[in-house]
Amino acid sequence: MSFIDTLRSRWQEYRRPGYYENFDYAWTMTIDLDSCTGCGACVTACQAENNIPLVGEEELARGREMHWIRIERYWEGEFPNAKLNFIPMLCQHCDAAPCETVCPVSATYHNQDGLNAQVYNRCVGTRSCAVYCPYEVRYFNYYNHEWPSPLDQQLNPDVTVREKGVMEKCTFCIQRIRQAKDAAKDDGRRRVLDGEVQPACVQTCASQAMVFGNRNDSQSEVFKSMNDPRAYHVLEEVNTAPSVVYLKKVEVNG
Amino acid sequence: MSGIDRRDFLKLAGAGGAGAGAGFMMRESTKHPVEHLVPYTSSPEEFSPGIATWYNTVCSMCSSGCGISVRTREGRAKKIEGNPSHPVSQGRLCAHGQAGLQVLYNPDRLTGPMARTADNEDLLPITWDEGISQLATRLGSLQASGQGDSVCFLSEGVDGHLAALYERFMAQLGSSRLVHYDFTHPRTLYSAIEKLFGDSQLPYYDIGNADYVVSFGADYLSTWISPVNHSFGFGSSRKGVNGVRGRFVQIEPRMSVSGASADDWFAANPGTEGMVALAIANHIVNEGGYQGDDRDAWVSALAPYSPASMSQATGLSSSVIIGIAESFLGSQHSLAIGGGSAGNNTNGVDTLVAVNALNYLVGNLGNEGGLILNPEPVVGSGSGTLRATYTDMIELAEAARDGRIQVLILSGTNPVFNLPDAAEFREAIAQIPLVVSLSSFIDETSSLASLVLPSHTYLESWGDSFPEPGVGFSIGSVSQPVVSPLFNTRATGDIIINLAQEIGLSAAFPWSDMEEYLKEGWQQIYARGNTGDGTEGFESFWNDVVRAGVWGETTRGPSPEGLLEGVIESIDVAPPEFSGSSANYPFVFHPYISDTLEDGGAANLPWMQELPDPLTSIVYGSWVELNPLTANELNLEEGDIVEVESPHGRVTAPVFIYPAIMPNVIGMPIGQGHTDYGRYASGRGSNPIQILSPQLETETGDLAWAATRVAINPTGRRVEIVKTGGVSRELGREIIQKVGADGADADGADHAAELSSIPVKVVRS
Amino acid sequence: MANQDISFAQINDDVVRSLVVTGRKYYITLAISILVTFTCFVGPWFYQLRYGIGAAGMNHPTVWGTYLASFIFWIGLSHSGTLLSAVLHLTNSEWRKAMYRSAEAMTLFSVMVAAMMVMVHVGRPWFVHWAVPYPNQMEMWPNFRSPLMFDVMAITTYMTGSIIFIYMGTIPDFAAVRDRTTGWRHHMYVLLSLGWRGTDTEWNRLHWAYTFLAVLIVPLAVSVHSIVSWDFALSVVPALHQTIFAPYFVVGAIYSGTAGIVTVMFVLRKYMKFEHLITKLHFDNLGKLLLVMSLLWTYINMVELFTGWYSESSEEYEALNFRLFGFYGPLYWEMILFCALAPLLLISKRFRTSFVPMLILSIVINIGMYTERFLIVATSLPRQYLPDAWGMYVPSLVEIAIMVGSFGMFTTLFLVFVKIFPSISLYEVKETLPEPQPKPQADSGAP
Ligand SMILES: Nc1nc2c(c(=O)[nH]1)N[C@H]1C(S)=C(S)[C@@H](COP(=O)(O)OP(=O)(O)OC[C@H]3O[C@@H](n4cnc5c(=O)[nH]c(N)nc54)[C@H](O)[C@@H]3O)O[C@H]1N2
Ligand code: SF4
Ligand code: SF4
Ligand code: SF4
Ligand code: SF4
Ligand code: SF4
Repeated sequence: MSFIDTLRSRWQEYRRPGYYENFDYAWTMTIDLDSCTGCGACVTACQAENNIPLVGEEELARGREMHWIRIERYWEGEFPNAKLNFIPMLCQHCDAAPCETVCPVSATYHNQDGLNAQVYNRCVGTRSCAVYCPYEVRYFNYYNHEWPSPLDQQLNPDVTVREKGVMEKCTFCIQRIRQAKDAAKDDGRRRVLDGEVQPACVQTCASQAMVFGNRNDSQSEVFKSMNDPRAYHVLEEVNTAPSVVYLKKVEVNG
Repeated sequence: MSGIDRRDFLKLAGAGGAGAGAGFMMRESTKHPVEHLVPYTSSPEEFSPGIATWYNTVCSMCSSGCGISVRTREGRAKKIEGNPSHPVSQGRLCAHGQAGLQVLYNPDRLTGPMARTADNEDLLPITWDEGISQLATRLGSLQASGQGDSVCFLSEGVDGHLAALYERFMAQLGSSRLVHYDFTHPRTLYSAIEKLFGDSQLPYYDIGNADYVVSFGADYLSTWISPVNHSFGFGSSRKGVNGVRGRFVQIEPRMSVSGASADDWFAANPGTEGMVALAIANHIVNEGGYQGDDRDAWVSALAPYSPASMSQATGLSSSVIIGIAESFLGSQHSLAIGGGSAGNNTNGVDTLVAVNALNYLVGNLGNEGGLILNPEPVVGSGSGTLRATYTDMIELAEAARDGRIQVLILSGTNPVFNLPDAAEFREAIAQIPLVVSLSSFIDETSSLASLVLPSHTYLESWGDSFPEPGVGFSIGSVSQPVVSPLFNTRATGDIIINLAQEIGLSAAFPWSDMEEYLKEGWQQIYARGNTGDGTEGFESFWNDVVRAGVWGETTRGPSPEGLLEGVIESIDVAPPEFSGSSANYPFVFHPYISDTLEDGGAANLPWMQELPDPLTSIVYGSWVELNPLTANELNLEEGDIVEVESPHGRVTAPVFIYPAIMPNVIGMPIGQGHTDYGRYASGRGSNPIQILSPQLETETGDLAWAATRVAINPTGRRVEIVKTGGVSRELGREIIQKVGADGADADGADHAAELSSIPVKVVRS
Repeated sequence: MANQDISFAQINDDVVRSLVVTGRKYYITLAISILVTFTCFVGPWFYQLRYGIGAAGMNHPTVWGTYLASFIFWIGLSHSGTLLSAVLHLTNSEWRKAMYRSAEAMTLFSVMVAAMMVMVHVGRPWFVHWAVPYPNQMEMWPNFRSPLMFDVMAITTYMTGSIIFIYMGTIPDFAAVRDRTTGWRHHMYVLLSLGWRGTDTEWNRLHWAYTFLAVLIVPLAVSVHSIVSWDFALSVVPALHQTIFAPYFVVGAIYSGTAGIVTVMFVLRKYMKFEHLITKLHFDNLGKLLLVMSLLWTYINMVELFTGWYSESSEEYEALNFRLFGFYGPLYWEMILFCALAPLLLISKRFRTSFVPMLILSIVINIGMYTERFLIVATSLPRQYLPDAWGMYVPSLVEIAIMVGSFGMFTTLFLVFVKIFPSISLYEVKETLPEPQPKPQADSGAP
């Protein structure tokens, strides 16, 4: 095989759908829209876990929200038949992530667990990834944020505090995944057990709308959940192969 | 280094210096304050650097009593999670529970005791000894001179041994003025349950096992009684109860979080929810759905409430009422709950009696998925009827005005904020010679104090909790400190014990501190015998409870035999009485507990201020909700500032056009409008409680906060409402997809018409 | 072709005079443009470096704003310099010769200003070198799949090519000036002219190399703006994800670049007293080119609208709806007026050969073209897939200042240039004149 052929075959291999199935993990989340109440506990849990800054009213007025998971709300119909639907929106950890191809410095890339990783230290702040992400889940540090003392004592030592000029977004709580992997290694296990990793948002969700786990493990909760007939991907047509699977809301008529 | 001589080197160094100068410019030009490393040469026991330690304790952000696990690292609390073994929270938490850390680490916390030497002077730091002795001297002399009743202890609602400690303290002082005040306390529900079943505790509603739930105004998923537990039940029910997906119905004038999650949402006229319940009952009884011995009594009691005759008053068509009635009857585990605005009209108790009677009619009392009564409280007598009503607070204010109150001790509650201006509570407190605050923050009420003895937050102190309604059986938790105190504060219990001892009440208060007192109290629980392994004595029992974060007995409460005598005959819901004429005040005012700020207590937590309101996505502000038709009629748009005028005052806030509120109802969230309470709360938005009329619920004498009428006066001013959401219509994009209950895709409608240019917030900088 | 009355000597005199004699007007203009550069560009930029990009009006979801619009604008403006010069050189267009030097200079300075806009745009400009492939301790390479990476490559190549092109073409003129100047200028030109003597071999090689570079530069220039367009088109953003974008950008670039040349020609002609060198003929030809480009541009715009409308997708439809009738709708129609309708005046030869109207039109076109770039960013990003995430973007004062400052920077660079480079190609203009009769005082440095 010539060099070009080798390159091409490797590339195709890489591009093959299901590429990540060859690895130990393909972290996946399902969100049941029939159970989500829009309460926002996940939003605050994520903010607490991941050192997401306080933005302040002025900056929010400028449209500079930072929450890595946000609840989108969509109304249908008019009074008295108005209905409100919620959908938690977070990084979908796309297997074909447009944000990854555009980053000139590879600050955002796909890791072997199928996570869309973000290397804050490497980011130069072009914000292209945010433009390319169709789900609008990337948030930029427009300035250095502050935690008036002693609020700073809450900061999670397992998570970096990002400086101005850096892009950030949901990591699927990668620090918790790491800890679970370390624990598994210490126990001499090859893989993390199902349920051992709970991202902050999933853990707090009182109505149990979210399930997180490894879809390469066909015994896992998440595997079962994502094979529910109600499963779908948001913006399927953009073909990003998301790792977040939504379960359709059930509408009873009459 | 060949080729670089001394002069080159100096040049290069000069260039480097210039570069460093530029770097200096670009970073901060001020010098950082000196900070010190914390040497761990003598590290506290129990933790190893780099490894998290978890402590189980109890959430005190609301009265539900969820068990929590706090993750600490190097002695600092880092994250709060639900305690998976706690039956209330089951490992989950609401947003407030998450934000508890910002109570602990709030930059506006009081850091030590302070006193004011004269009115209008600033509070100046004092020592604890000074503070305690100052107060003890005063209390001691009042007690000695038999004026103990002129001491009032005004606390937030607390339960467990702390409540018992307060009671003991006040009793020893000779005072009957122990007042627990909570704006959100479901007083009318207690009364209704007592009326129906003779039980003075809240019942447990087993939502998780119910497959048809009708909620009359109770926002059970967000603000009502025990939201985390209810949400857990909601999720479980939606996932299927014996294979049947739970169906949820909500009846309320303005769509709440629970209304948004319901399958069917109906707007009944405000205050007529009880009539709807009786009309449903009427259909159930008359259409043969109910075959109990007392059927005849029901038939005659419900005769005036046929669905047809109620449809005019309630605004719901009789087919809707009948539809609910048939589903309610037809479902395996149907459940009716009521609260919120429905329970806070002038007919609040009657309404909730009617609602809860539905549970009786379908025979779900004491059953899975039904209404379950709780066993006798483990400690104390159940908190429900101990809480002060509006009438009690007015009496207190009068006593203060008449000079009958010499000392007021405040703890955690903020009645100046949470009572209407009509109560003139601030003015009343100003008459009290000595106001002492034990709160952790200077809120509107504490700002009137001349002596401030700040207490620990719940994450720094010992306590216990016996959550009501809990889960239908007895549970209790010990609340333990998870970090050492951040500031020079003391636990409320310790302050009380200390005070008592200073006054000379050591005989009644023999404990050195709260922890010792608690342990003594738990001896009695240990003595009940449900001690797990239990054989190793109290200490090991205690350690187990503290470690596990929860103790419980799985014996259920009594299953009610039936209703109390005479209940059926007296069943009746009078029309609500609103303050203000409909001519001058065309709209019914619907203030509601904010989903993010609760009744205002969470307004000082930046996470809660920044959490978008679930229904509107608004952050950091107040707003007035108008139906689109109403807004159109008044020619108002989002952001137009209006004045909401009631017979008792006015507040201003910008308009938000809300698609799911009745056209004759004006909604407004409670929570903002603080004038004190720290940097995040003060000076933001407005407080709708201010303008409420002192309209009373007829049976309890509590404030009927949903019974005020208002007028809307445009001011001509505008602001840009700060919210995180853009356009909240899907425009046919199928973002949130749906299936019919039969699995078929619901809704293939053409949404092209919605595509016209939709106004969206304009962001200016 | 040019004015028949002027002699070789006079050309040399005129041009050298323009380099050596400096009037007060020049100093005032230079002072103003330096002042503008510092107050509007450097100052606000330093403020932004300290505070963060938050000083600009960008937000979620409109994370790109005027900085990027300015970047495309300046890259676009760069197009008609070197590209036009090269094309015209290859097609042996005589009329090119009086104007190509300043056109090429425009290219160079626009690319430099564009590069500065990138620095202003990114969040951590102190790390932009990470986008350059160089072996490093981190063992990290840039991401070669990224269109931004293509940009870095294309633009640096284009800039390098343009620098060599303009420099090579100026060597004989440096020599000519060298021979007519004294003092420090003489020394400078000695260095700059690389010992040019004007031998036949030298001329031969120069011509060969010049043509070679011209051939190389044409595709390069086309690629640059195609690649810039891919920054947008390779995204999945509705109204940006379009195959027409590459030709759209290239056409737009040549269009605005040509208009820019007209502006610069006018100024040179007027203030450097080149009336006899830059004539109606040049304006006429540039006018024709402008007309063609405007028609092409209009056509592509119509195609863009049509495909959006024809797609029948809610996303495309709303993005177009917003662009045409939303908050920035008036700007869209301003752009149509300035770039599609006003240039129709160029049909008239009288218009094309009138200097002041041509100046006004050229400025109007570039205002329209800046608007186009602004709209591409500011009307697409706020209206993407998820309506709940829609927002609005309004530039902040810092952004507007930096945009104004970038013009100051460009002007400053150009003003410095005209004092160092002969801004008219001496030898090529002479080529267009009839062969002079040998006279004793003929020049020595140039043919
Ligand atoms: N096997 C092995 N052993 C070695 C070496 C080796 O190469 N291999 N190297 C040797 C050498 S050269 C060295 S220097 C030593 C280093 O050995 P140690 O001094 O033990 O160094 P660390 O493990 O890096 O860190 C010590 C602790 O300091 C904590 N810490 C970090 N920041 C702070 C702070 O601001 N305040 C306080 N109080 N604590 C902080 C960290 O959490 C960490 O737990 O190890 C020696 N031992
Ligand atoms: S915590 Fe759960 S229910 Fe609440 S908004 Fe998040 S996903 Fe929905
Ligand atoms: S959702 Fe957006 S940010 Fe996340 S992987 Fe996909 S494209 Fe990237
Ligand atoms: S903002 Fe950072 S992560 Fe995103 S594309 Fe630019 S460099 Fe990459
Ligand atoms: S997975 Fe983790 S990082 Fe992502 S939204 Fe949830 S809590 Fe935040
Ligand atoms: S429901 Fe109440 S007790 Fe439970 S987590 Fe929320 S605030 Fe805490």
